[in-house]
Amino acid sequence: MNTRKVTLLLVVLLSLVLALPAHAQEEPVIKPLPCEEPGKLTMWVWDEAWAAIIGDSIEAWKAEYCPGAEVDIQVQTWANYWDLLKTNAAGGELPDVFNMSQPFFFFYADNDVVLNLQPYWDEFGVDTTIWGSGLIDPYRWGEAGDLYAAPVNWDTIAIFYNKDMFDAAGLAYPTADWTWDDFAEYAAALTDPDAGVWGAAVYAEYQAGYPNWIAATGETPVVDAARTDCTLDNPGSLEALNFLKGLLDAGYMPTVSEAGGASPNDAFNLFASGKLAMVAGGSWMLPQALSDLTFNWDIVQLPKHPETGRSRSIVHAVGYVASARTANPDLAANLILYLASDEGQKFFAEGGSVAPANPSPAIQQMWIDSFGETAVNIQAFVDATVDSQGVTPFDEIWDVMNSELVVKIFDLGMSVEDAVAETCDAINAELQ
Amino acid sequence: MITESRPRTLAARALNALGSTPLSRRKALWGLALIAPNTLGLFFFFGIPVLMAFSTSVQEWNAIKPPRFVGLDNFERLISDDKFAQALTNTLKLIALAVPLEVLLALGVAVLLNLPLRGRNLLRTAYFLPVVTSTVAASVVWTSILQPRYGIVSRLLEPVGLGETKWLVEPGLVLIPIAAVAIWQRLGFDMIIFLAGLQSIPGELYEAARIDGAGRWGRFRHVTLPMLSPTTFLVVVLAVINSFQIFDQVYIMTLRTVPGGVSGSATTLTYFLYRRAFTHSEFGYASAIALVLFALILFVTVFQLTIQRYWVYYEAEEG
Repeated sequence: MNTRKVTLLLVVLLSLVLALPAHAQEEPVIKPLPCEEPGKLTMWVWDEAWAAIIGDSIEAWKAEYCPGAEVDIQVQTWANYWDLLKTNAAGGELPDVFNMSQPFFFFYADNDVVLNLQPYWDEFGVDTTIWGSGLIDPYRWGEAGDLYAAPVNWDTIAIFYNKDMFDAAGLAYPTADWTWDDFAEYAAALTDPDAGVWGAAVYAEYQAGYPNWIAATGETPVVDAARTDCTLDNPGSLEALNFLKGLLDAGYMPTVSEAGGASPNDAFNLFASGKLAMVAGGSWMLPQALSDLTFNWDIVQLPKHPETGRSRSIVHAVGYVASARTANPDLAANLILYLASDEGQKFFAEGGSVAPANPSPAIQQMWIDSFGETAVNIQAFVDATVDSQGVTPFDEIWDVMNSELVVKIFDLGMSVEDAVAETCDAINAELQ
Repeated sequence: MITESRPRTLAARALNALGSTPLSRRKALWGLALIAPNTLGLFFFFGIPVLMAFSTSVQEWNAIKPPRFVGLDNFERLISDDKFAQALTNTLKLIALAVPLEVLLALGVAVLLNLPLRGRNLLRTAYFLPVVTSTVAASVVWTSILQPRYGIVSRLLEPVGLGETKWLVEPGLVLIPIAAVAIWQRLGFDMIIFLAGLQSIPGELYEAARIDGAGRWGRFRHVTLPMLSPTTFLVVVLAVINSFQIFDQVYIMTLRTVPGGVSGSATTLTYFLYRRAFTHSEFGYASAIALVLFALILFVTVFQLTIQRYWVYYEAEEG
């Protein structure tokens, strides 16, 4: 090997070693800016715990970037949130800043009641592509794909598995490189009808269920991003659903009735009671899993589709949006910038449970560390954000694809083809 | 003399309507003042929205954009909407399932609890309990009772091979548990009305019937039933109206599986209306549905009032 090559290699290596940590630790991904003029804002959130965390970060914003500003945070519980928001929008009395959920954004954007934040992102110099695509794509609107929200958090899906059961069956623990074929083999090996143990339950509901498997084939699950076409009858969707139905028919997965309900929580309870070896679960299950599970367990990314080689998690990010009719658009945008910045997101990272949307590795590590000493591979959830799929279905079609399709295929024994034909009929009636 | 005392102005006439002496007028004013809060509340929070439903029903309105007048489009759409037809059919099926059973059971329970049984007050209270239980709480409990495999009903039915029955999921079955819970919840109320009716039947009639040689069944058939018919009429009318409006049971009992039932199999008119308004933001269409529901209930009730003279026996008419 000649010296020039060695030198070049050394330089490359050295620059990598120097650049990575320096970038991760010192340079914030999003920097807050001082507000131009303080004023009064109202803000709605639907969760008490979130309100407390956001309240702390707003105090810091007021102290360091916007002295004299006032923010009135109101908690409207989830059960009432959307009805209240709709009626307030009707009365033209929306809060200045409020939390938004991806499947609901469509309606509010379509009715011109949320503020376009893209001019502010441009003005603040924020490159919106830093966020994982699944986090923000559902909050883009208009021909130019303007970003109307700042993501607050992310939720991804991974497989929780019972290590004791793997040990008993003499199986090696799965790694992030496993494929659907491996998954099927494990599910078969871990199923024990005599003990009432199923190998896996991974189909239930939109976010934790079958759409993750459709996404891995490269298909956008349920409806395309433009919301013009039901994708459930496309080849990728049929392949994923038939793969899951095959595991059910072979007896490796419980039916909806056997799981005790159509919610992924029902499957998780089965997992917690030692009746299930592998379950698909969201990152929001971590606090409960860490405190409740009485056996050895770990987390692994969803298995990869054998041909595409992709493991794709559905991701949902709550967003901060501003009202299109706010009296203080500049101030609202400045507050949202702060809440999305590294400084503002620190409060979520330290609080644990809610994973902060800000992609800074330091912030993400802070979130992982907030769970304390644990052997559990929490990083799997962070890794799942990279190739992720945002939520494209919306309120009007939610039930038909979230629970009805699942019940038809995985409880009533309907064939995948018949079930998706009916579901697509119902969905197409709402797409115009 | 009457013409002389008739007041000329409207105000004076209104005042006169309250009573003829200052004292009775003052009493009447007190009465009016006392019912005013309720009446005003009813007017503003019930009367006005009802009136608004009429104007909204001829508009297209998603609650945010300004409403647009569309004439009778919403009603035309109703006629050709398969889902509306399905909701109407489901509602009629529920009425057919629930009303006869509810009335018969309530009558049976009332007759039994009208006997001098020991602890009958306790039993009456027990039957009335579901009436004062929150429908939502009761429906949640029933949902778990009806769960296949794990629920109590499934365990009880296991010996006859129905332990795996998916009561709340199978499209052909789901209306049965919904009707059952609705009956269970209204039975106590109907029973109380029947009990009041039973107790107002004079004892002499039974005595006379007994002297004439009527047996237990004869007395029930020829004394109790006819004397009770005004009460039965009231119970039937209320049961039909209530069955038209079944909502909570559907909403809660299908929430954890498929809201509104698989392929809409549990969707009643009121649930359909709710979904069109609050999920699909079609407030104009939902108002049209509400008006049709109103017209249906009105029609059925008027029909019942018309045919009552063939089977309802009022003591006063006999003179």
